[in-house]
Amino acid sequence: MVSVPSPTHGTHSVTAVEQPPVPVKLVIAGGFGVGKTTAVGSISEIRPLTTEAAITEVAAGVDDLSHTPGKTTTTVAMDFGCITIDPTLKLYLFGTPGQDRFGFMWDDVVEGALGGLVIVDTRRLDDCYAAVDYFEHKDIPFAVAVNAFDGEVHHNLDEVRWALDVSDHVPLIVFDARATGSVRDALLVVLEVALSRAEDTMTG
Amino acid sequence: MAGGEPGPGDEADGRAQGPSEPAGRAPAIRPFLLTAGRVAGGGAGPPLPVETQVVATSAGLAALRSLAFEQHDIVAACRRPQSVAELAAGLRLHLNVVRVLAEDLRAAGRLAVHVPNAGTTQDISVLRRVIDGLRAVPDSRDTLRDSG
Repeated sequence: MVSVPSPTHGTHSVTAVEQPPVPVKLVIAGGFGVGKTTAVGSISEIRPLTTEAAITEVAAGVDDLSHTPGKTTTTVAMDFGCITIDPTLKLYLFGTPGQDRFGFMWDDVVEGALGGLVIVDTRRLDDCYAAVDYFEHKDIPFAVAVNAFDGEVHHNLDEVRWALDVSDHVPLIVFDARATGSVRDALLVVLEVALSRAEDTMTG
Repeated sequence: MAGGEPGPGDEADGRAQGPSEPAGRAPAIRPFLLTAGRVAGGGAGPPLPVETQVVATSAGLAALRSLAFEQHDIVAACRRPQSVAELAAGLRLHLNVVRVLAEDLRAAGRLAVHVPNAGTTQDISVLRRVIDGLRAVPDSRDTLRDSG
């Protein structure tokens, strides 16, 4: 196999047809069926797209793979959308499955993210522990958003914060994944966390 | 690395005997053939971030007729800049296959690959621009235009 020495930058002497925008991304995490794709679709300027990313290694030995001995790689769907901020800046939103056995994939997607939004269904709090832990350990700015299915929240927020063991400095909000304005505001909460952290870093 | 080993399909699964189910197995083997068994990153560095922007070069578009299959499709799709993730979704290719092929095409001068700057996450001016841009999103969107 030929190893091609590649430059560390991509645009050296070749002429690109069109200059792409600077891409930034937010990650939307949570268990299956919690409203990740709904949230992405509510605010994305394109219909959510799906791509398959690999999960390997950490998936080994998990029940549903045990039927295929020796298989250590499978794929999982990841939905995403985008918002053009201006011609030179584009925000991507990636929805990632919340189960901790997808840890490998999280690193792949979360690396370089401005922040994360963990979506919670109060009827199934267990499904979001992994995501909360992940963002805390990775020290990535994030907020927790309770999805108010049918306008109903089944627990008060103090109970949710206590049950999830979310630190006081992590914003905990209620939102509606189906409503554009509500998703926008939830993402703004995440970005404000990211901004204040960046400002703190600046001022030392 | 042993990435160039031929015939990963031959030994991929001992249960697949002869021609009994070639059609069913093709999707699993196909990505290996596309990348000659290589996986994303090629061991030489981290894989391209999913939001990495790729765009065809004029040399790539000029060479379009000489490219085949997925390489052709990728360069053709990249007349319009897009992310690696969008490219994978639009062409229905595995993300890691697109990553490998995009790096190949970059090495050949047919794609410009703009890897995001890691410092962007701490860039206050970028964060403020994203916040201002997001605030401008109205409370409801009427109709989504189709992607691609």
